[in-house]
Amino acid sequence: MTADPGHGQPADLDRSIARLLTYGTYGAVALLAVGVVLLLVKQISPLAGGPPFQPELVIDDLVHGRPAGVMWLGLIAVIATPSARVFAALIGFVRFGERTMAIVALLILAVIVMSVVLARGLEG
Amino acid sequence: MVDGLVLIGGGIAAGLFGSLLGLGGGILIVPLLTLVFNLPLLTAVGVSLVCVIVTSGASAGVYLERRVANLRLGMVLELFTAIGALAGGLLAFILPENGLELLFAALLMYVALTMARRRDPEPVLGNATERAGEGTAEHVVDRSFLGTLSGPGYRIRHLRFGLVGSVVAGVTSALLGIGGGLVKVPVMHVLMGVPLRVATATSNLMIGITASASAIIYLLRGGIDPYVASPTAFGVFLGASLGSRIAHRIHLPVLRGLFVVILLYTSWQMLQRALV
Repeated sequence: MTADPGHGQPADLDRSIARLLTYGTYGAVALLAVGVVLLLVKQISPLAGGPPFQPELVIDDLVHGRPAGVMWLGLIAVIATPSARVFAALIGFVRFGERTMAIVALLILAVIVMSVVLARGLEG
Repeated sequence: MVDGLVLIGGGIAAGLFGSLLGLGGGILIVPLLTLVFNLPLLTAVGVSLVCVIVTSGASAGVYLERRVANLRLGMVLELFTAIGALAGGLLAFILPENGLELLFAALLMYVALTMARRRDPEPVLGNATERAGEGTAEHVVDRSFLGTLSGPGYRIRHLRFGLVGSVVAGVTSALLGIGGGLVKVPVMHVLMGVPLRVATATSNLMIGITASASAIIYLLRGGIDPYVASPTAFGVFLGASLGSRIAHRIHLPVLRGLFVVILLYTSWQMLQRALV
């Protein structure tokens, strides 16, 4: 290993993560765009207040062509893309035997999981 | 219909200005949504967090591809920004709204003054090795943890300052809906010895996970309105993409001067809103 692993680690990892981020973001924005078009077509005012996030209703909204369904899907994709990037890095670090960085990646994912758990806990 | 188009237009303006001036869109989106659309601050912050993840995701991919961002350093620091963002996200639902508005007014004032003093635009993108890499032939193999986080031509120092700064950046990001680069970039560059454009690119990479740690809390606690977030984030994405394409044609000093006036005015408006 050289002194510059940020740039000297297996190049594939940086490139794979870069592509994941780019495609993930573009995909998420495309979903948001579809949701916006639906909102405009159905002449719903965005300032009227959107429905609250209820995971169990997302599929139903999608099936019935309601803007909220595809919008929630896009928003979840936006929020999940950075975690997918960390997960991809975790796999890369494990594959290349970089234990410390793999632990760092795991801890980041643990913080994200903790966000979900705490937010859900406070909900009740 | 009109409101939707205005939100997209506002998002485009925020993304465009943010991209041209090297700021995240968050600093503009929160005042836009609170002062123009009269939305609650928490809703504006939730929407803004979504927008900064979108802009960070698009540009961080480019920075990584061009090997400007330091992935390892970014991941070590973002563990701490995420912890800060988690704490800040929980705190945001406890603090009084006018307290957050006061904080945001102070932030706007700080950014305006910083921008007024800035002389030269800082180029961010480019080949990271073009200058810093000149010394690579003399590199000594360094297997220490700090060595593994360092890059061509620079060695990380004072990691502990970086960790503390990252927690502060995470809390700030979650409370105010910004990317936190205002804290991370100076800490990395001045205290940790990271070249400016590597610091900027690495900060950009970190924004995604930082903002998503708190965005999850906003999402699950009803702080994100899909009808507002979607058009705004879509607009910000378009504006930021446009900004990166026309940046070289814009006379930045004039734009910056105009922006300082807008920020000062917005800060005053936000202060008034907090004190009402």
